[in-house]
Amino acid sequence: MSDARDGLTPAGPLEVGGVHLATPVMAASGTFGFGTEVPLCDRRALGGMVCKGIFLEPRAGAPPPRIVETPSGMLNAIGLQGPGVETVIREYAPLWATWPFPVLVNLNGETVEEYAELAARLDGVAGVSGLEVNISCPNVERGGMLFGQDPDLAAAVTAAVRVRTRLPVWVKLTPAAGDISAVARACEEAGADALCAVNTFVGMALDVRTGQPRLGFRTGGLSGPAIRPLAVYLAHRVAQAVRIPVIGIGGITRPEDALEFLLAGCRAVQVGTATFVDPNAIGRVVEGLRRRSTPDGAPPGHRLRPA
Amino acid sequence: MHDLQAPLVGRRRVARDAFVLGFRAGPIAREVRAGQFVNVLLRPGPLLRRPFSVHRTEGEIVELVLRAVGEGTGRLLELREGDRVGLLGPLGRGFALDPSAGRVTLVSGGLGVAPMPMAARQARAMGLHVCWVHGARTAADLCSEWEGDEICWATEDGSRGVRGTALEAVPEPAGQVLACGPLPMLAALARRWPEAQVAVETVMGCGTGVCLGCAVPLTSGVYTRACTEGPVYRAGAVAWERLPAPAHAGWET
Ligand SMILES: Cc1cc2nc3c(=O)[nH]c(=O)nc-3n(C[C@H](O)[C@H](O)[C@H](O)COP(=O)(O)OP(=O)(O)OC[C@H]3O[C@@H](n4cnc5c(N)ncnc54)[C@H](O)[C@@H]3O)c2cc1C
Ligand SMILES: Cc1cc2nc3c(=O)[nH]c(=O)nc-3n(C[C@H](O)[C@H](O)[C@H](O)COP(=O)(O)O)c2cc1C
Ligand code: FES
Repeated sequence: MSDARDGLTPAGPLEVGGVHLATPVMAASGTFGFGTEVPLCDRRALGGMVCKGIFLEPRAGAPPPRIVETPSGMLNAIGLQGPGVETVIREYAPLWATWPFPVLVNLNGETVEEYAELAARLDGVAGVSGLEVNISCPNVERGGMLFGQDPDLAAAVTAAVRVRTRLPVWVKLTPAAGDISAVARACEEAGADALCAVNTFVGMALDVRTGQPRLGFRTGGLSGPAIRPLAVYLAHRVAQAVRIPVIGIGGITRPEDALEFLLAGCRAVQVGTATFVDPNAIGRVVEGLRRRSTPDGAPPGHRLRPA
Repeated sequence: MHDLQAPLVGRRRVARDAFVLGFRAGPIAREVRAGQFVNVLLRPGPLLRRPFSVHRTEGEIVELVLRAVGEGTGRLLELREGDRVGLLGPLGRGFALDPSAGRVTLVSGGLGVAPMPMAARQARAMGLHVCWVHGARTAADLCSEWEGDEICWATEDGSRGVRGTALEAVPEPAGQVLACGPLPMLAALARRWPEAQVAVETVMGCGTGVCLGCAVPLTSGVYTRACTEGPVYRAGAVAWERLPAPAHAGWET
């Protein structure tokens, strides 16, 4: 979409895929809890937040260890521990309704029908501004990333969610897709309002003393600066493949990292792992984007020339 | 919770490989309670912060005790006076001392001494009698500093105090028991004193409750967050057989 890059205001409010963001920098799912846990983040900088992924029912999560640090990154296998949708509706949504930035709920299911049921339950709930359909979690036995690797399955989940809600529907893509452009187009055709690119990359680390995996789930999802060039490339491919907006995710730590995704064709970005290191990472990214913007709001530097 | 740039202001050796580092961080020093921790950011250094119990406070100074087991701890011990680190804290739930207990026993194995000086001071300030039982592999690994009313040593090789673990050296009646140390020691302690309060160690992603990376399994079947509901737990509540030992040597000496 050509106007995606033309009207770029790197730090101001904007509308993306049916959601009104306060700034283009959001908190990524699984790295900001339910929004109540990061007291030191400058909330005026938060464009919006995606809550930790939920299922219909509460889930215990994966056995520990759940995190291993790797060069410039980390592997996680949390296994989508969390409360079910009832707790979210009863305890968190009323809080979110009073917040100055939108909150999207990250949806997970083992079957297409579970995603659809979740979407229906959240439809019309005050405090929920949109849904982020997670067809890209690498840390569950069933569902998750499997849906995101196949264009037909991705479209089936998207369409099932679409018909059960009036909320904006964003779909979060996995780098494990053989052809991410095809998956992106399938989601667009099935009615997605925006696409998020990308979730974590599957990885593994072994304990050299015991010879066993260092994560309880054996494998995990790689995030952090280590994945940024891979994520920029995939987000760019997705942005070229579809007309709906793309939200770039992967390894953003500094303002210039966010700008890189915007230049690659994204309308907004999400910051994840960086918040673990610096609770106000998002505040600093937005502050940097503001300082680096020209008076007309456009980012400095060159537009990306078409290949 | 504070996020501060704290300069290193002092360093001393307290055991063969263990050092106490002091950082100037007034706001944290004033708020922290025994058993709580700080999450340390090193630049240059590893990506994620590294959690450490607060060992003692002295005015504006927050003291940590550690030994080198990997990149982060190695870098911490290379710092020179005046070098700054990021300190996020105080974090987690510390020990809850019972003023009616009369007597409290602190059980520490190896670097499990970490939270004990603060616990000893807080307990004494409440009028409790403090007995500290400290064990290590050999005399050179025992922490040279202690606080409280009485001290009992234990070494695996018998080079000082009781031969055996700290657990075996605890004089009865123990009163309220607070413990920190290697997992096998804590698991054994839980069988003897399920009501004891134990500070556990896990890998941590954030230290603030958002990542769910610090899961501690409870006997009730749920996972809790060591950084938020912990790191201090009722010993009998932890499903010890499902809590993996950290990949590093951590608390052991
Ligand atoms: C609440 C809490 C309080 C704590 N308090 C203290 C304290 O007071 N004092 C203290 O000393 N510690 C404490 N710890 C533990 C401390 O946080 C860790 O020791 C520290 O994070 C280690 O960081 P590092 O960068 O030095 O080691 P890392 O670089 O993270 O490495 C850890 C270990 O893993 C090993 N390792 C790395 N890769 C592999 C592989 N592929 N196979 C096998 N092994 C591998 C390394 O050799 C090393 O021994 C505490 C932990 C918690 C959770
Ligand atoms: C600990 C952890 C938990 C995560 N949980 C979720 C989740 O529940 N749902 C989801 O869609 N993505 C989840 N993610 C992926 C992030 O939202 C993000 O896509 C990924 O971490 C890449 O961004 P980053 O490099 O900025 O962290 C999680 C990531 C981490 C590190
Ligand atoms: S370390 Fe992140 S939730 Fe405990």
